[in-house]
Amino acid sequence: MSIKTEDIEIQLLLEAIYLKYNYDFRKYARASIKRRLTRAKESLRCSSFSMLQDRILHDPAVFPPLLSYLTVQVSEMFRDPEYFKAIREQVIPYLKTFPSLKVWVAGCSHGEEVYSLAILFREEGLEKRTLYYGTDINYQALEIAEKGIYPLDQIALFTENHRRSGGKSSLSDYYTAGYGSAVFDKSLRERIVFSNHSLVSDAVFAEVHLISCRNVLIYFDRDVQDRAVGLFEEALAYRGFLGLGSKETLRHSKYVNSLEDFVKEEKIYRKRDVA
Amino acid sequence: MANQKSNYRADILLNVGFICAVLFFIASGIITYVSTQTLQRDSALVVKTHTVITAADDLLSTLQDAETGQRGYVITGTQRYLDPYNLAISQLDDKVATLDRLLDNDPSQSRMPAIKAHIAAKMQELKETISLRTDKSFAAAEAVVLSDRGKTEMDALRTQIDGIRNEETQLRDQRLTEMNAAYQRALTSGILAAIIGIGLVILIGLLVQKALADRQRQEWLQTGQVGLSAAMFGEQNIAQLSENVIKFLAEYTGAQVGAFFAGEHLTFERLASYGLPADAKLVEHFSPGEGLLGQCAKDQKTFRVDDIPDGYLLVGSSLGQSNPRHMVISPAIADGVVTAVFELGYFQVPKDLALELLSLSANPIGVTVRTSYDRTRLQNLLEETQRQGEELQVQSEELRVSNEELEEQSRALRESQARLEQQQAELEQTNVQLEEQTQVLEAQRDDLNRTSQELEEKATDLQRTSRFKSDFLANMSHELRTPLNSSLILAKLLADNRDGNLTEEQVKYATTIQAAGNDLLNLISDILDLSKIEAGHMEVNSEKVLLEQIQTNVHHFFDPIAAEKKLPFEIQIQPGVPDSIQTDSQKLQQVLKNLLSNAFKFTETGVVKLNIVSHELGFVSFEVQDTGIGISGEQSDIIFEAFRQADGTTNRKYGGTGLGLSISRELAHLLGGNITLESTPGTGSIFTLTVPTTLVAFIAQAPTAIPEKLPLTVGLPDAVPPPDLPDDRDDAMKGGRTILIVEDDETFARTLYGLAREYGFKCIIATSAEKGIALANHYVPSAVVLDIGLPDYSGLSVLDRLKHNGRTRHIPVHVVSGSDYAQAAMALGAIGYMVKPVKAEELATAFADLEQRLTRGLKRVLIVEDDPVQLESLQLLLGSDTVETVGLSTTKECLQALKTGTFDCMVLDLSLPDGSGFSLLQQLSKADDSSFPPVIVYTGRELSLDEEQQLRKYSQSIILKGAKSPERLLDEVTLFLHQVVAELPADKQKLLEGSKHRDEDLKNRRILVVEDDVRNIFALTSILEPRGAEVEIARNGREAIETLERSQKVKGRDIDLVLMDIMMPEMDGLTAMREIRKISHWKKLPIIALTAKAMPTDQQQCIEAGATDYIAKPLDVEKLLSLIRVWMPH
Repeated sequence: MSIKTEDIEIQLLLEAIYLKYNYDFRKYARASIKRRLTRAKESLRCSSFSMLQDRILHDPAVFPPLLSYLTVQVSEMFRDPEYFKAIREQVIPYLKTFPSLKVWVAGCSHGEEVYSLAILFREEGLEKRTLYYGTDINYQALEIAEKGIYPLDQIALFTENHRRSGGKSSLSDYYTAGYGSAVFDKSLRERIVFSNHSLVSDAVFAEVHLISCRNVLIYFDRDVQDRAVGLFEEALAYRGFLGLGSKETLRHSKYVNSLEDFVKEEKIYRKRDVA
Repeated sequence: MANQKSNYRADILLNVGFICAVLFFIASGIITYVSTQTLQRDSALVVKTHTVITAADDLLSTLQDAETGQRGYVITGTQRYLDPYNLAISQLDDKVATLDRLLDNDPSQSRMPAIKAHIAAKMQELKETISLRTDKSFAAAEAVVLSDRGKTEMDALRTQIDGIRNEETQLRDQRLTEMNAAYQRALTSGILAAIIGIGLVILIGLLVQKALADRQRQEWLQTGQVGLSAAMFGEQNIAQLSENVIKFLAEYTGAQVGAFFAGEHLTFERLASYGLPADAKLVEHFSPGEGLLGQCAKDQKTFRVDDIPDGYLLVGSSLGQSNPRHMVISPAIADGVVTAVFELGYFQVPKDLALELLSLSANPIGVTVRTSYDRTRLQNLLEETQRQGEELQVQSEELRVSNEELEEQSRALRESQARLEQQQAELEQTNVQLEEQTQVLEAQRDDLNRTSQELEEKATDLQRTSRFKSDFLANMSHELRTPLNSSLILAKLLADNRDGNLTEEQVKYATTIQAAGNDLLNLISDILDLSKIEAGHMEVNSEKVLLEQIQTNVHHFFDPIAAEKKLPFEIQIQPGVPDSIQTDSQKLQQVLKNLLSNAFKFTETGVVKLNIVSHELGFVSFEVQDTGIGISGEQSDIIFEAFRQADGTTNRKYGGTGLGLSISRELAHLLGGNITLESTPGTGSIFTLTVPTTLVAFIAQAPTAIPEKLPLTVGLPDAVPPPDLPDDRDDAMKGGRTILIVEDDETFARTLYGLAREYGFKCIIATSAEKGIALANHYVPSAVVLDIGLPDYSGLSVLDRLKHNGRTRHIPVHVVSGSDYAQAAMALGAIGYMVKPVKAEELATAFADLEQRLTRGLKRVLIVEDDPVQLESLQLLLGSDTVETVGLSTTKECLQALKTGTFDCMVLDLSLPDGSGFSLLQQLSKADDSSFPPVIVYTGRELSLDEEQQLRKYSQSIILKGAKSPERLLDEVTLFLHQVVAELPADKQKLLEGSKHRDEDLKNRRILVVEDDVRNIFALTSILEPRGAEVEIARNGREAIETLERSQKVKGRDIDLVLMDIMMPEMDGLTAMREIRKISHWKKLPIIALTAKAMPTDQQQCIEAGATDYIAKPLDVEKLLSLIRVWMPH
């Protein structure tokens, strides 16, 4: 019985968060959201989810920490170098035929992936005609993304990843290190738009040629996954590209027939042609 | 102050003295100058007098020289003697002139004319004598000389010269006297000046000395003050300060000892001393009024004590000791408050100047002492603060260190948690996917199982049924035919009555038996052909059937049975029933026999009747009535099913196959009628066979093909209307090309029908717009010929609806109309247009064109590219069995080609030899007379954003040449070739809309669209521009503000309304709106935010940032337009 009560409480809590703060976690994968809420509950010293709900409703200051528990913010630059290598070697040649390009990183977290793509595109000579959108629902993460400052101890990993992704220059060309952090070149930032955008509730905002949405869909349940993929399908230009995380697939999606495998191993899909 | 005043006075005196001295020296200088001038002038006059005298004498001597020369010559006649004469003559004029000049302004000048006259006369005489001596003789000359004319002249001249000399001499004496007097005067004045000068110098010297002494005093005081300042300079603590001050004062004023007391709060303590022995017993502190020091502090005055008694204080060195004799006590005052007191002891009487210095020092020392005290306090406070600050710093450092440690830990923890979380989520995702897959697989398996089970069951059923059937049929044929055969043979033998032993009656019976047997045989054949019936292969022959004949036959057949069963059998033909009907006699009788045999079979007592009645609607009913066992309501349905009887038990009692009624009902259906049943168990039944009086001959179909209801038109939105004119719609579904003619004029429709058939089309005709759409939808014809003036609504809307329906939009539509809507029709996607009245040839051409188009199925692609190699490779790339490519290399050719032909798609290189692709596209968009297929721009150069935006107006796809460009080109061409004719070039769409919905609210209004997405810009522009609005584009917030500023500067170019996207580079929409609202001029400018965000808070944010209203993406055109109308200022 206790398990059931807890589930009711979680349901109510998610509803409360939605009504009060307009963040819709109701359709997130329940097991993961439950674990994360449990951790949040413990760290915010609440004895039950109802108590957490009470605090959330009456003390807006509790929401930001809760939000950071609810959204999993973890990424690194050029994560899964093979993915970036595939983009570099197989996607870029197509993108070069467009006079202007737009790239959308959905669920950009702290912006590592947006910067990674911006660096990659610069190396491939596409920077000047490309506009990058980085969207996430966590505004705190977006603030970090806008600054483009990362702890120095991660740089070694980033550098290794970049090298393995087939990087044509040295990653150190793009950042300045100091005070234990690395600041990424402001000129990379010029063509990036960071914005709050929810795949659960918001609509398409632009026609884009490449969407990278990695390890985001895993947190959603089937309906929201379908909705998100629907947004991508709508946003993609004719024959545009969609990259997903290594464990994500469109196999069970409603849109399985509108997108075809492009680089199967790296989960890069392409909008199907009409024929 | 006194000092300064005296100083000042001394300065003035000194200055006056100097001025007097200067004036004096100027005056004496002037006097001396005047005297000297007089002396000089007088001496010059004396010299002049002397010169005149000398000149007069010189003149005289010259004359005398001339005279001497003359005389010598006259006497000797020798030319040599004339030399003095000649010399004198040459000098004479100069000398006269010299004298004349010297005599200028002289009293003796009056003598000059006389002198000149005399000289002239004398010279005349001399000349005469000389010429006489030369020309004539000595004697003649002598005579002239002797005449004394010369002498007289000479004498007169001498007299004049002497006169001059005398006068000049007199003059000189007079001038010399004057000169003497002047000299005397000058001497006297010189001596006097010297005396006065010496006096003055002495006076000035004295004054200077005095001033110097004052200066020295002043300087000493000043030096003292400066020294004191120096001693007090800097941030000293009070002890140092006291030490320095007393030391300086003592040394500067020559004191031998000194002590310095200072304090706050009315207590003074000794802070420093000078020259005092260590063992001296001295006051350490005092209060105001206490002793001399206290008095000084109280009176705030400096005072001197002289003649101090011995033993007051001893001052000593290693060499000896002595008493100071004099003492000065002085206070230090700051703002009327005594802050310090100092005491100085002297062996000699201190100078007044020293006292003055001490008084002057009172204030600075006082202030400095106070400042020092203040500073000391401040210093203490600062130190305290500093200490506290440091403490804080230490604490915060410690805190930071521990914080950082904590942060590091929590970050690491969080990160690992997040990673774990992600891994877990991934795992879960995989799990879910696996589960889903399993479920799908399971479901599929279950489905398969179920289906196969069903299939098996069906197969079993089928097998059973068919076994039953074949068993039954086999049995029947065997069981029936064998006995029937013998019966028939026997009956034939009986009827033949070869032995002649049978009565006529008996022969008749035998004949009847034979007839019945034959019927049975027929029936069996039919039954054996049951599969034929079910497959719809039963033939029905319509013939004329006399009802009387039927009656006779039935009587013949059933009377014996009736007799046997002792049942009365009546056949009644009701009045009004026609004599004959048109139907299949055999089948009719078969049904009747079946029904009647049933009736007899199930009737034990009572009566069996056959009533033939007529219906008004051309039907005839045969009612078979019995008084048998009857059938209950539930069973009445199943008895018509094959192999069934009302009761499972009946079979045994009454026999029979149970096939009769089902065959009867199928036969009745075949005859265009049916069988109904009214029955009450135990009372009897009435089976009624109703058949039409005239059976319409038609090809028999399967029983299911004679439906009780119309088949459901599932998937077809419009019901198919019945034909107004005979056409080929029944054949339409059988393949071949069909054409739909939508035309309300029947004659013209007929003409078109005939023509269409000539070209091998099947033809369907609709006479109204609604029917046309329904038929097009149902039959999906190969082509449509459409009239515009239709009775219900315009053919244009039919065209529009056809082109907006996915099922029909690929159908080519050719428009024929009474009035000219050519442009609109072509814009909507018609392939051709004809104006009525149409000539037969025109129609023929149109159909030929349609026919060709349909036969062709070819897509045509126009490639405009100037590089021949590139052009050829593109043609190779794009051309195929179904795609025909046309390659051109200039804009001129391209324009021409588009004017004369149609293409499905066009690939355009931007740089062409006779003009750029840009201008070509612009020309095409303006030209109404040429077709404008979808354009793919294929270019080698990179494009600027502006260029891209410009191109987007005409071309939806732009490809930059590169490694993958051929593939992309193929993709894009494929896309366009699959798009149907309905996807019109945007420009034609606009043209059409421009004429249709020019919206008054938007006409000539200026709307600023702030949006970075090219696709959205294009969409918004194509919504707004056809409605007459002028659209300006800005790609981000900054550009929007610039555009607004620019528009404000030009009169009449003001922006009326702004559509603002939120997510944009450089400056987002929210910031832009805030910036815009900051400017008072734009406070009321309507701004509609276009947001992709759906939450109420997002929309609230828009409003708070200054949006007038908002609309969520994706945009609903009607909603957007109404919003714009609402907010557009009127």
